[in-house]
Parts: sequence; C-alpha cells; structure tokens
Amino acid sequence: MSSNVASRSIGILLPLVVSLIVSGAVLLAIGKNPLDVFGLIATESFGNPRRIAATLSAATPLLFTAVATAICFRSGVFNVGVEGAFLVGGLAAIFLGFTLPATWGFALFPVCFLAAALIGAIWLYVPGILLAKFEVDEVVSTLMLNFIAVAITGYLVNGPLLSPLSGNNVTPLIHEVAYLPRLMPPSTLHAGFLIGLVCVAAYGYWCRYTPAGFEGALIGLNQRFSRAVGISVPRTIVGVMILSGVIAGIGGAAHGMGQMHRFSDGFSPGYGFTGMAVALLGRNHPIGIVLGAILFGALASAGTTIQLFSNIPLDLVNIIQGTVMIFAVVELGRISLRRKKGTANAN
Amino acid sequence: MQIEQILVSTLILTTPILLAAMGGLVNRQAGIVNIGLEAKMLSGAFVAVIVSSATQSWFIACLAAALSSAVIGWLFSLTITRARANMIVAGLGLNILVAGLLGFILSWVYKTSGTLRQPDVVLLPDVLPDAFDKIPVIGPALASLDPLTIFAWVTVFCLPFLLTNTRIGLWIRATGNAPHVTRAVGLRSLAIQDASTAFAGFFAGLAGAHLALASLGLFNEGLTAGRGFIALAAFYFGRDRPIQTAMACLLFGFLDTTQIRLQTAGFPPKLIGMTPYLMVLLALIFTSIRAQRKARL
Repeated sequence: MSSNVASRSIGILLPLVVSLIVSGAVLLAIGKNPLDVFGLIATESFGNPRRIAATLSAATPLLFTAVATAICFRSGVFNVGVEGAFLVGGLAAIFLGFTLPATWGFALFPVCFLAAALIGAIWLYVPGILLAKFEVDEVVSTLMLNFIAVAITGYLVNGPLLSPLSGNNVTPLIHEVAYLPRLMPPSTLHAGFLIGLVCVAAYGYWCRYTPAGFEGALIGLNQRFSRAVGISVPRTIVGVMILSGVIAGIGGAAHGMGQMHRFSDGFSPGYGFTGMAVALLGRNHPIGIVLGAILFGALASAGTTIQLFSNIPLDLVNIIQGTVMIFAVVELGRISLRRKKGTANAN
Repeated sequence: MQIEQILVSTLILTTPILLAAMGGLVNRQAGIVNIGLEAKMLSGAFVAVIVSSATQSWFIACLAAALSSAVIGWLFSLTITRARANMIVAGLGLNILVAGLLGFILSWVYKTSGTLRQPDVVLLPDVLPDAFDKIPVIGPALASLDPLTIFAWVTVFCLPFLLTNTRIGLWIRATGNAPHVTRAVGLRSLAIQDASTAFAGFFAGLAGAHLALASLGLFNEGLTAGRGFIALAAFYFGRDRPIQTAMACLLFGFLDTTQIRLQTAGFPPKLIGMTPYLMVLLALIFTSIRAQRKARL
C-alpha cells in the first residue's frame, strides 16, 4: 500500500518537478532568477480577486477538454481528437446562437448546448466505432479528424458563415441573450466555469458510482479480463468516445457562448492538447483535473503579463506544457518500484 | 498553369514531406509511431538557417540540421524506450516543447517574433546546369533539382533493399514485429529502436532544412505547417513501404501545388488542404476492414 502511495506521488510530482527544472534552466540561461519569475507568476495569477478571476477564466475550457480526454485515457483509448470535437461543437453552438431568432431568449442555451453536445458526440463516435468494429488505430484517426475539423470550420468561417460586417475569419456575433452570464464583471470569468465544474463532478460520479464508469476503468486495466467477466469492450469503447465528444462539444459551446461570442479561426489555441496535459498531470482524477486546469490557466493568464512587464517570452508556457506532457507519461517511478519488488522476490 | 510549372513545384513541395516520411516509416517499422516529426522538422529548419548564415555553406547547414534533429530524436526515443512514456502523448508534448523553445529563442536571442531573417543565408544549389531547362516538359523540373531532393529520391529507391536485404534492415523490422523474439536472440531491441528514432530525426532535420533553404532562406514558426503530420499520413497511407509512401508524398505534394492554383479558380483552399488527412482516414478504414476479412477467412 505504501509503495502504491509512493509511486502515485512520484507520478504526480515528477512532471511538475521536471518542468520546473527545465523552465528554471531556461530562465537561468537568460539571466533571470527562476524563483523571482515563479513568484511573479504566482502573484500575477492569484494575487487579487481580479487576477484569480482571470486565471479561472483561462482554466474554463481546460476543465472540459481535460475531462473529455480523461474519460478516454482511463479506458486505455488514446483519443487525441478532443480538439476537433471542441471546435465542431463550438461552431455548432455559435451557428445556432446567431441564426435562431433572438426572441427564443433563454431557450437558446439548452438548444445550443444540446446541438454542440450532439455534434461533438457524432464527431468522436466515428473514430470510436472504427476502433471498436474495425480496429482502426484511434490515435491516427482522431489526429486526422483534428486537421479535418480545423479545415471544415476554417472553410465555414471564411465562406458560408463569414460575418458580412467584419473582416476575415469570423462569424457574426451570437445574440446577446445567448451570452453566458459573467460571474465577476469586468473579468471575463463566465458561467461556463461553473458548467465545467459540474462536468468534472459528473465525471467523478460516473467514474466511482456508475457501472459504465467502472467498466471503462476495467477495460483500461485489462481488456482480456473485462471480456472474461462479460463486459463488451467494443460497446464500452464507443461509449467513452461518445461521452468524450459530448463533454468536448459542451466545452466548445461554453467557450463560444461565454468567452468568444463568435467563432473565429483561432477559436481554440490548442485547448484539446493542453487539456491532455491537464488530464495526464491530474492522473485522470477529478480533483487533479481541477487543480491541473487552474495551474495551466494561471500559466496562460500570467504568461501574458509576464511577457509584458519582464520581457520573458510567453513561449515559456509552452515549454512547461510540453515538458509536463512528456514526463507525465514517463513511468520512472513505477519501474524502479517494480524492479525493487522483483529483486526482493528473487531473494 | 503549365505542366512544367506544376512538375517543378510538385517536385519541390514533395521533398520535405518525403524526407520526413522516409525517416518516419523506418521508425514505425521498428515499432515507434513518431508523432514528433513536426518538432524535429521545425528545429531542423531553424538550425539550417542559423548555420547557413554563419558558415556560408548549405552542406554544413543541412548536416547540422540533420544531426541536431537526430539528437532530439534520440533523446525523445529514450523517454519512450527507457522511461516507457506513451509515444503518442510524448510526441505531442515534444511538438509543443520544441515550438515553445524555438519561440522563446526567437524572441529572447533574436528579438523577433515569428520570423527569423539572417544575413547571407546560402540556399540549396541547383545540381544540374541551367541548360537542362531547354528540355521540354521535364526540363525545368530537372534544372531545379536540389541536392536534398536527389538524396530523398535516392533514399526512396535504396530503402526497400536496405530494409529487406541487409542485417540492420532485418533487425529493424524484427524489432517492430516481434520485440520479444529480437530480445530472445540477443539483439538490443531498445537500442535498435533508439537508433531508428534518431534516424527519423536525421531525416526530419533534413526535411526542415529543405523547407528553409530550398527557396525561402528564412525561418518561420509556421514553416512546417503540419507537414510532419502529412508525412505521418503518407507512411500510414503507404503502409510503411518506401515506394508506396513516396507515391503518397508525391500526391500530397501535388495537392499542395494545386491548392494555390485551385484557390484562384474559386475552390476553397481549406477544404483542399484537408484531403491528405481524409485520404489517410479512408485508407485506414479500408486496410483495417480488409485485414479483418483476411483474419476471418
């Protein structure tokens, strides 16, 4: 048991420690004191209520994309297509948000969110059924679907859905009644953050207390055993892909209706991939996901200010994110522990 | 749009995809799906521009680009083979990390964002004399051949032999198909995988050098524009066979060429840009269904 705790904490701490070392080394190389910079990031992202709001606002899309990723990863399904589902879901919600009559009022919220969830679900159902039925490698299919999503949404916002009023690459604004309410104006923190927390909580409940969530975890641990106890592996795979698409789509809708209010070419600056880093860092655990999302939200919101005032390039955030992703999947901790056990048995 | 022009630009646009795909397919034959090709192309392009400007030699620039990317590939491989990182997530992480590092260097060292211009960057030379230009149809394409393009196509036609008829080729394929057998006969399968990833890095570095030095002579953060993934698409489409993969690369290069032309003809460029990805998706479905049918028989 104690070794389990030890290996888990190594697993959580390793990517953080390594990314701190790497980014610290980069900062040292340019003659900055890493501790000063990290301190500055901390005060810039959590220093006062306004900054906390900015951090949470930046964390909002990551809550969705991280949950969507975690749903699949814990089942051993390497779905890297959350980014694409986030995009198509977001565009679906935005499209309805400006085409449906404004007189629908509050009814626009459920309609837009349902449409986004549906489109996201269909989007990831495709690689899900391909994996379950024909064993089409889900990594490549979802990766390709990301590019296809970027292309389709890019085509739509530059063509059929282009706003007649403003320049390039944007759709018209959605009706003002369809804006998600701001929680702490003037900050951009919006009700999408609360929806995100609800999604994380629902995910936690699904993992712990529902048969489907248990089956998902089981096929992630051992497919042969799952089959032996009567779990349909194909059905579970399709199920987690659909759920992932639903969450990613809702995330796109929340981001669109709360933050952007329109769809543009840069709708998602890689939220799907940052969400992956968050899910990995949080080890697919709901609390871990919330903390990870806030951490990356803090980096994103503080990064801009840091660049402005201390001249440190914003790319530092990407360096940290990339390092976290690589070292979150490294199994150093587990390997060393397993080896110890192995030698103990041999003795 | 004349056929000569189409040939020239298809040939040039194919080369970076082709180089990256050749490295990637060897890597995949050894059992590693290299999602980090994009990162290594980008770093290769960056190194190529810096070194070309500093040394006034395209050859040293290409070599430096290839070697630096090979080192990155080797380090990346260690996280997969020794520390057992998931190769997909680590590869995506590498792409973000390298893009971040290069962006950081651009703005900190060179005080510029996005694009790096260096003085006196030496471009890749034309190998054949200009006189070839006179030959009808294929003349201009021949005249515009650069060393890396020739190297890429030589590789395409050597690789099948190297992979099937040499000891190292056999090792690589055995490692990918049956790692436990490789280990059982006393080969160091992890070292073979590391070498294949370094090899993929080497070629991705050359691909980046070609992107930077074929005609532009500068580095841009968006220079690779997903070509590492197109290369991935190509060797998936060509099922890791050099000749078939090269044909896929040619097709993607041709699409890249026509994209600009079709745009002026009124076709939406974004939709043309997604064809490689769509084709890979369809090819994957097709091959998987066929494999399943075979398995059933």
